[in-house]
Amino acid sequence: MLQRLIKKEDLKKLIASVKKEGAFYGPIRGSEGLSLSELNPDDEVAFAYSNFKLPLKRQFFPWSEEICTYEAESMTDVPPSEEKVVIFGVRPCDAFSLLYLDKIFLDEKFIDPYYRGRRDNSIIISLACREPLKTCFCTSVGVNPAGKEGADILAFEVKDSLIFEACSEKGKEFMETNSAIFKKPGEADIKARDEEVSAAEKRVQAIDLSGITEKLQGCFDSPIWEEIAQRCLGCGVCTYSCPTCHCFGLYDEKVGLKGRRIKVQDSCLFPSFTLEASGHNPRGSDEERMRQRIMHKFRYTVESFEDIFCVGCGRCIINCPVNMDIREALAEVIK
Amino acid sequence: MSSNCRANPYLPKPVTIEKITIENEARDLKTFRLAFCNGDDKKGFKYECGQFAMLSIPGAGESPIGIASSPMDEEYLEFTVKCYSTGVVTTALHNLEEGTRIGVRGPYGNSFPLKEMEGKNVLIVGGGFAFTTLRSTIRYMLIKKNRTRFKNITVIYGARSPGELIYKPELKEWEERDGIEMYVTVDRGDANWKGREGFVPSVLQEVAPSSENAIVLVCGPPIMLKFTMLPLLDLGFSPDKIITSLERRMSCGIGKCGRCNVGTMYVCKDGPILNYKQIQELSEGIF
Repeated sequence: MLQRLIKKEDLKKLIASVKKEGAFYGPIRGSEGLSLSELNPDDEVAFAYSNFKLPLKRQFFPWSEEICTYEAESMTDVPPSEEKVVIFGVRPCDAFSLLYLDKIFLDEKFIDPYYRGRRDNSIIISLACREPLKTCFCTSVGVNPAGKEGADILAFEVKDSLIFEACSEKGKEFMETNSAIFKKPGEADIKARDEEVSAAEKRVQAIDLSGITEKLQGCFDSPIWEEIAQRCLGCGVCTYSCPTCHCFGLYDEKVGLKGRRIKVQDSCLFPSFTLEASGHNPRGSDEERMRQRIMHKFRYTVESFEDIFCVGCGRCIINCPVNMDIREALAEVIK
Repeated sequence: MSSNCRANPYLPKPVTIEKITIENEARDLKTFRLAFCNGDDKKGFKYECGQFAMLSIPGAGESPIGIASSPMDEEYLEFTVKCYSTGVVTTALHNLEEGTRIGVRGPYGNSFPLKEMEGKNVLIVGGGFAFTTLRSTIRYMLIKKNRTRFKNITVIYGARSPGELIYKPELKEWEERDGIEMYVTVDRGDANWKGREGFVPSVLQEVAPSSENAIVLVCGPPIMLKFTMLPLLDLGFSPDKIITSLERRMSCGIGKCGRCNVGTMYVCKDGPILNYKQIQELSEGIF
């Protein structure tokens, strides 16, 4: 396993190197707080944050993207992006979520060319978690605050340095290409890292999800859905801030004869999501939609892929305007 | 990976509307006959009875529609579309004229189990304009070289009124020919109607086709499906021999957008054709 050390102040050299043929995205503090943005070598890379407000998925599956353009009756293909991108500083939960999105968008029968283009051309350098939030429950859904899943390189903060550990061939190649910027970590650095990692893992407040899928199999018609959904406003912020929610719609925008078709993130919590042209809506009530969201993540994906499509990032809890808590809903199901 | 994997699955293939047939008195059901603009697209579009495609109109959007032509109709594709005042795409489509160029993506979904139907009596039960993919199947089975593969073909088809029966010239042709037994019914006839009156489920009970070595394909509005299942079971059809086709709102048609998800199934790729046993096993109600 390739392990290398880089001084935080030398990140600017890495950014400059990456920028020669692509873009470098990383954490930066601006007027609206912390964000994952494209960085220049002179930008001050932020540290000491818990997580980004928005999920990593939008780098690969943007809020909206063009899939074709048209003029009068003729339609033209929009090719996928080939921009090389390095993404630094995302948390292991977000990196893990890409493995779930891969199962949908890279399903071998039909591959989404836009998602694939971005996946093929990106390198993910995730940064191990040091300060999990009270809303984090990653360890309950198989994610570790220092997990490597979905990352090409896993980085650890050790004082004024970062330890980079290659997790994929792509990551290893990247570190070798930039070897001049790195040096070998000392034993003390490795030890400090290991201590941080195990402390962080202990701080995650785990919840008991044992038997959740079986419980869900037995409670489709239960009155709990009405109870759970009662507070929900149906705003869909949980679905937009979820790293694994991947529902979308295709919409046309046209001015005069010219227009474009766009793929837009959508939410199963919106009544229009399943509303048919005839006026019939097979999922017409709030509780049916809430049930669908929870069933999809904690039952259907388990039955289809043997995976719970949740990485425990807690964004749905943090961003909910009426303080709904998925942990409470799941506890209600298990009860 | 083959170059095909890089192709954009969301990009429709251009087709020209060759012919538009108004199917009913209310004039809200039209059959669109489409021809591919490019030979390669035509060759690439190999479909089976029961599959659907996305019809794509620049500026309006896309709509999943069952293919009403038969795979043996090599020169064209046909789709029968109902216009809903609330349906953006169906309204736009109904306003188009012959000669207009639109787009098609597909074919998508699974198909009627034609292999399993071979050597069996085939019962077809249809209601309203959900008769489209059943029409595709009947056309396919009645082709001379295909006909011998199937035993008796019995069709029970109903609509609200005589004016709402679709594919009228074909219904007449089938009634007059051998090799197919037709029972066309309307909920309520008019002064000129000399045919059968009555709802599809009751006509089914009257005709009482044997379930012996038989399979039934049934498509119709949810209410008809609901009241047809019991008589079919009473006739001795086992749930796995009762085949139907589901509908759901769809966007991508390729199992990604999540709209048509029902349980672990995506209607677009795991359906739309399901047997009644599979439907009973789905937690979410279908009809």
